[in-house]
Amino acid sequence: MTSAVIIILREVLEAMLLICTLMASARAVGLHIRWMPFAIVVGISGAFSYALFLSEISSSFDGFGQEIVNSALLITVTICLVVHNFVAIRINGIGRSTHLVRLSIAVMCTAIAMAMTREGAEMYLYVYAYGVLAGETLSVLSGAVIGAGIGLSLGTFVYYGLRSLSPRVCLFTCAGVVAVVGASMVSQATLYLSQADILQMQAPVWDTSNIVSESSLLGELLHASIGYEASPTLTQLMLYLVTVTAGIAAVIAALWLNSSKEAE
Amino acid sequence: MKSRKSNWRIRVLFGACLVLPSFMVHAQTLEVELVIREHLFYPSELSVPAGQKIKLIVINEDATPEEFESYELNREKVIMGRTRGIVFIGPLKPGEYPFFGEFNIKTAQGKIIAQ
Repeated sequence: MTSAVIIILREVLEAMLLICTLMASARAVGLHIRWMPFAIVVGISGAFSYALFLSEISSSFDGFGQEIVNSALLITVTICLVVHNFVAIRINGIGRSTHLVRLSIAVMCTAIAMAMTREGAEMYLYVYAYGVLAGETLSVLSGAVIGAGIGLSLGTFVYYGLRSLSPRVCLFTCAGVVAVVGASMVSQATLYLSQADILQMQAPVWDTSNIVSESSLLGELLHASIGYEASPTLTQLMLYLVTVTAGIAAVIAALWLNSSKEAE
Repeated sequence: MKSRKSNWRIRVLFGACLVLPSFMVHAQTLEVELVIREHLFYPSELSVPAGQKIKLIVINEDATPEEFESYELNREKVIMGRTRGIVFIGPLKPGEYPFFGEFNIKTAQGKIIAQ
């Protein structure tokens, strides 16, 4: 049961941080979050489909279908997150125009559904194979429920923590978190691409595993929140920085457009 | 007309010069097999040469899916039941690189020793 708790918590944590930050960001600019159940349903359906076809997907692309689909999902989510930052700040500056609101909801739904697809597929595979098929339904399911419960509680904590800030501070904090989450997703995508030998493999730039091991609780939390890697490669580091910069640049560009509009 | 023909030959030769070494490099990639049986890795210790790219073939003989994972190697891949998956690793510095099966972390443990 404990292994079920850990496996599910690891997956839920990353998705929850993203979902709760986007929710807080939407509320900070006065958007409703009625689209949330829709995004979650699409995400769950995506996870089921991904898990059901994982054998076929894995054997495609010369056996690297999994790496290609995962990195495509991660990169698409990141693009959505950068667009989100731009749109959220624009809405905050010039008000809720219909097309900005539509774009904002579209990128948030896509990001949440795609992130859930990737994380959810693994959870489903585990629970189905080791719980339902192995006849350990009760122990695995209760472990999964506890893991998901801890993840949900932490998510709620993050959401209300962000919401307790003033709307403006909340918005900018969310934009910062979103930029870092995007960067950690790009960093994961580079690992998948090098695992498939699509990206040139490199030696790590440094190794901090004796300071904070990735398998420790702190390491896991840092990995889920800021994409901590004990032994990153140069490409990973560069792309991480590029993505954080893109996330911040989107905010600055939107602020600049907002101020030029005000000047008129 | 003649010059165009010789031009064509030079291009083929040039192309072969470019393509052949890449095949030779490909042939040099060491292939290593790792079997998952009853939620255990065989062999649980895998010696590989350091400083070289390695094609690790993970063969899951169990009916259940497993996730091959390693923090030290920065690798993770779901291997469905009764299938095999390829994971490229390296070039590695000499040392030990533990790996595990995420779905059976208590039993499915092993390490790659690069030397």
